[in-house]
Amino acid sequence: MTLTQTASALDADAIGRISDRLDEPDWLRALRGRWWERASVTPPPTGQEEEWRRTSLDALPRDVELLLDAPRLETYLPPGAAEAGVILTDLRTAVAEHPDLIERLLGQADGPGSHAHFWALAQAAWTGGLFCHVPRGVAVDGTLVARQSIPRADVAYHPVSLVVAEEGASVTLLEEIVSPDGAAGWYGGIAELRAGQGARVRHASLQQLGDGAWRVGAERVVVGQDAVVTTLNAEVGSRVTKLGLQVLMSGKGGTSKVLGLLAAGDDQQIDINTIQDLAADHTTSDLLYLSALYDRAHASFYGITNVRHGTKQTSSYQECRNLLLSPQAGAEPIPVLEIEANDILRCGHGATAGAIDPTMLFYAQTRGLDPDAAERMIVRGFFEQVVARIEDETIRERVLSALAHRIGSTEEQERAA
Amino acid sequence: MTALEQTASRFVTVARAGDVEPGTVRVVEIDGRSLCIGLTEDGEWGAIDNVCTHDGGTLGEGELDETGVECPRHGGRFDLFSGRVLALPPVRPVNAYETELVGDEVQVRLE
Amino acid sequence: MLAEHRPNQSGFAETGDPGVTEERMALPNPALSQIPDSYKYGWNDPEATSLNIAQRGLSAEIVAEISRFKGEPEWMTKLRLKAYRHFEARPMPNWGADLSGIDFQDIFYYIAPTNKAVQSWDDVPDYIRRTYDKLGIPEAEKKYLAGVGGQYDSEVVYHNIREDLEKQGVLFLGTDEALKTHPEMFREYFGTVIPANDNKLAALNTAVWSGGSFIYVPKGVHVELPLQAYFRINTENMGQFERTLIIADEGSSVHYVEGCTAPTYSTASLHSAVVEIIVKKGARVRYTTIQNWSHNVYNLVTKRAVAYEDSVMEWVDGNLGSKVTMKYPSIYLLGERAHGEVLSIAFAGSDQHQDAGGKIIHAAPNTTSLITSKSISKGTGRTSYRGLIKVYPGCERSKSTVRCDALILDDEARSDTYPYMEIDEENVTIGHEATVSKVGSEQLFYLMSRGLTEAEASAMIVNGFIEPIVKELPMEYAVEMNRLIQLQMEGAVG
Repeated sequence: MTLTQTASALDADAIGRISDRLDEPDWLRALRGRWWERASVTPPPTGQEEEWRRTSLDALPRDVELLLDAPRLETYLPPGAAEAGVILTDLRTAVAEHPDLIERLLGQADGPGSHAHFWALAQAAWTGGLFCHVPRGVAVDGTLVARQSIPRADVAYHPVSLVVAEEGASVTLLEEIVSPDGAAGWYGGIAELRAGQGARVRHASLQQLGDGAWRVGAERVVVGQDAVVTTLNAEVGSRVTKLGLQVLMSGKGGTSKVLGLLAAGDDQQIDINTIQDLAADHTTSDLLYLSALYDRAHASFYGITNVRHGTKQTSSYQECRNLLLSPQAGAEPIPVLEIEANDILRCGHGATAGAIDPTMLFYAQTRGLDPDAAERMIVRGFFEQVVARIEDETIRERVLSALAHRIGSTEEQERAA
Repeated sequence: MTALEQTASRFVTVARAGDVEPGTVRVVEIDGRSLCIGLTEDGEWGAIDNVCTHDGGTLGEGELDETGVECPRHGGRFDLFSGRVLALPPVRPVNAYETELVGDEVQVRLE
Repeated sequence: MLAEHRPNQSGFAETGDPGVTEERMALPNPALSQIPDSYKYGWNDPEATSLNIAQRGLSAEIVAEISRFKGEPEWMTKLRLKAYRHFEARPMPNWGADLSGIDFQDIFYYIAPTNKAVQSWDDVPDYIRRTYDKLGIPEAEKKYLAGVGGQYDSEVVYHNIREDLEKQGVLFLGTDEALKTHPEMFREYFGTVIPANDNKLAALNTAVWSGGSFIYVPKGVHVELPLQAYFRINTENMGQFERTLIIADEGSSVHYVEGCTAPTYSTASLHSAVVEIIVKKGARVRYTTIQNWSHNVYNLVTKRAVAYEDSVMEWVDGNLGSKVTMKYPSIYLLGERAHGEVLSIAFAGSDQHQDAGGKIIHAAPNTTSLITSKSISKGTGRTSYRGLIKVYPGCERSKSTVRCDALILDDEARSDTYPYMEIDEENVTIGHEATVSKVGSEQLFYLMSRGLTEAEASAMIVNGFIEPIVKELPMEYAVEMNRLIQLQMEGAVG
C-alpha cells in the first residue's frame, strides 16, 4: 500500500505512522510525539513578529505531499575516518546502528526562538537527515561530504541534520542539498551542530534548491569551552529562503566565525535571522554575511548580537554587506546589538548596501573586460571577503562552483583577459 | 478626442450616485483593480488608487477632508483629484482617474 | 539556552514614533510655569483669562472646551476632535521603552496661566537643587528652571531680539498666537509633516496641543542669532504638549535651540511634543534640543522635517534626563541634493532609559544623510539607538552613513542598537557602523597616574567621547554639558 501524507494534514496519528513506517524504537516514537505536541502549542508566526515582518508565508506550499522515503544520502569519508570511529550516515541508519548516541543527542534542545514552530515540526516529522559524529580526540584529515538530492520539486521534506564533535575532536564537513526546478515545494530542514570542549569544526551548508522551493530552515550551533567553529551558509537556490540561525557561545573561550554568501536573482527572496548569543567569558563571535542581488531579488537580514549580563571580555562583530546589481534589487540589512555587560573587549557591527563603485567598474573595463565580465569579477572580489575565510579547499571550490552561474569563475576571467 | 480615442479611453461605471455620502470615500473594485472614490461636500467626484504608497493602507476606508483623502493607517493625505501627496508620511503620489457623474452613474476613466 | 527574545513588534520602520500602553500611575498637579507679574512688553496673550478645566482626564468635551477657550477657528477645533478620535481608536504598538507607568486619565490636559507661584522652592527635589548649585546657576534662573515663579531677566533680552527679527520680516511667535495672526500660512503647513493619525502620541498632541514656537523665515533671510525657546516668556515654555512649526523659505537659514542642560523639574510626568519643520529650496535649518527633564518624566516626542532641493536640515539632539525618552528626529529628503543630519547624544543614568536615534527617508536622487549617535549608559541605565534609513526606488546616487558608538560604564548598564535599513535603489552607497565599548582601563590608569581621581578621569574620557557632537552646540550649552557629565560621573547627582 502506498502511503501518502500531505504536509498540512499532519496530526499525532500521522506522526505515529511515520515512526511505524521507519520501524523506530519506542523512545524515538515518544520523542517525536513530544515534539509534535510542542509544534501544536507553538503557533506559526503571524507576520507581526519582528523577524517575520519582511517575508510573508502566505504562499508557503503546505498542501504538497510529505516525502516519506528520504532521498539517498551520498556520503564521502576521507580514508581512515571510519576506522577512527567517525560516523557519517543518514539519520535513519544512525537510529538503527547507533541508537544510544542518537537517543542521547537528538532533539534535546530548542532552536532559534523566531523559528520555534518550524523547529518543533521538523523534530516531529523528519523522514530523513544526517548524523555526523566525531569521537573524543579524533582529528579527521580531509573533508567529509554529505549530499542529498530531492527527486521531486512538489514535496515537503524536513530533514534533521545532527553534527556532534566531541571534546578535542577536529572535523571539516560540507553538506549539500539540491532539488529540481519547477513546482513549489517546502523544504523545512533543520540543523544542530555541537562542538565540545576544545573541538575544531569547519562546517558549510550549500543550498541549491529549485526555483520553486520554499526553504524555511532553522539552525542551532553550540560552541563549547575553547572550541573553534566556522560555519558557512551558502544560499544559491530556492524561491524563498527564510533561515533562522542561532549561535550559542556557551563555553568560556569559545570562538565562532559565522559566514554567509547569498547570490540571488530573478524573484528570489532571502530572509535571514541570526542570533549571536555570547553567554560566557572570553568568547568571540564574528559574523559576516555577503549578498549579491540581481534582477528583482531581495535580501533581508535581521541579526542580533546579545552580550549577556555578567560576561567578561567578549569580542563580537556582526557585518552584513549587500551589492545591488540591478535597479529592482533591494536589501534590508538590520544588525542589532543588545549589550548587557560592560566588560567588553570589542563589540560592533556594520551594514552596507549599494551598487558597485562605478570607478571600479570603469577601471576593470579599461583592462579589456566587457561590462558583464567586469561586474562578475568585481562581485567575485566582493565575495572574496568570505571565501578567503573558508579554510578548506574542497568547500571553497564547491561553493565557488555553485556560484559560477552568477559570478563567473577565475578561469573565465583569465580567458577574457 | 476622436471617436476611436474615446472608445479606447473608456469610462466605466463604478458606483451609483447614492452609494457615497458627501464628504466621504469608499472602496470600489473594478476590472481587478481597487479604487478609492470620493464625493466632496461641494458635490465633486474623484477617484484615486486605493493603496497608500507609504505602507499599503486602504485609502477608501479613510476619511475625506475637503479634497484630501486621509489614509487610515498613518494619516497620510492625497488629493482626491490629482493624487498628489498633501501630508506625509507617504512621499510618492497615487494615480488619479478622471471621474464623471453621468446621470446616476459614477464613471471613472481607467487608462 | 537563549533567553526568550522579546521581539520588537512592527511599527518603528513605518511610522513616527512612540507608542504607549495604558496603565495606572498617580500623578501630582502638573502646573508648572507662570507668567511674570508684570507683562510689560505684552503682546496679545490669548491665555490671559482663566479657564475652568479643573479635572483630570481627556474627553471630546474637554478637547472642544480647550479649543473654544483659546478662541480657535472652526477648522482647528474639528482637527482637534478628529485627532482625539484617532487617539482613542489607535491601538498601542509594543516596541521601544517600557511605558507602563503612564495613565492617560490621570493628567491635566490644560492648565490655566496664573500669576501666582504654585510651588515653593522646597518642593524641588534635592538632587536638582544641588545640581544648580554646582553648575553655578544664578538664583533667579534656578527658580525659573525649577518652575517656581519670579521675574526673569531674559524678558529684556527677548524684547531687543524681537525688534531685530521684525525688521527682517522674521516671525517668531507662540504657536497659539500664530494661529490667530497668520491663519492662512498656519493652515497651509500645520499637520502636513506629522498628520494627526501618524501615531498615538501625535494624535494626542494634535488634540490637546498648547504652546510651542512658530517661526517663519522669509526668502533669503539669514537669522544670525540662534533663536531660543525660553526667550518667549509664555505660560507653556515647558508645557506638556507643545506644538512647534518652523518654515524656512527659500534660501533662508535659522538655528532654533530648545531646552537647557540644567535639570528641569516638572511635576507633569508626560511630555509629548510635536515639531514640524519645512525646509524649502536652498534653505538651512538646525534644531538643537538639550533635554534634561527630571527623572519622573516620560518624554515622548515626534519630530520631523521635510527638506527640499539643495536644502540642509540638521537635528542636534541631546537626551540627558527624563525617566523614559522615546524620540527619533526624522528628515524626509524630498528634493534633489537635499542633505540631512542627525547628531544625537544620549546619557542614561540609573533607572533611566533613553530610546533615541533618527530616521532619514531618501525620496529624491543625489540626496545625502549622516546620523551620528553617541550614547553612554551608567549605573542601571539603558540607552537604545533606534534608527531608519529608507531609500525609495529612483533615488540614484544617494549616500548615507550612520555611525553609532556606545559607552557602557557599569556592569548593570545596558546598550542596544537597532538600525533599520530599507534600500530599494541599486545605485546608492549606504553604510552603518556601530561600536559598543567600555572605558579603557589603560586610558583610565594613565589619566589617574597624572593625578586625576577615577571620577575625573572617567569624566574626561566620556567628554572626549561625546566631543564631536558637543562641539556643534552653542558655547554655553557645551560648557554646561561638560560640567553636567562631570557631575554625573561623580555620582553627586541623579
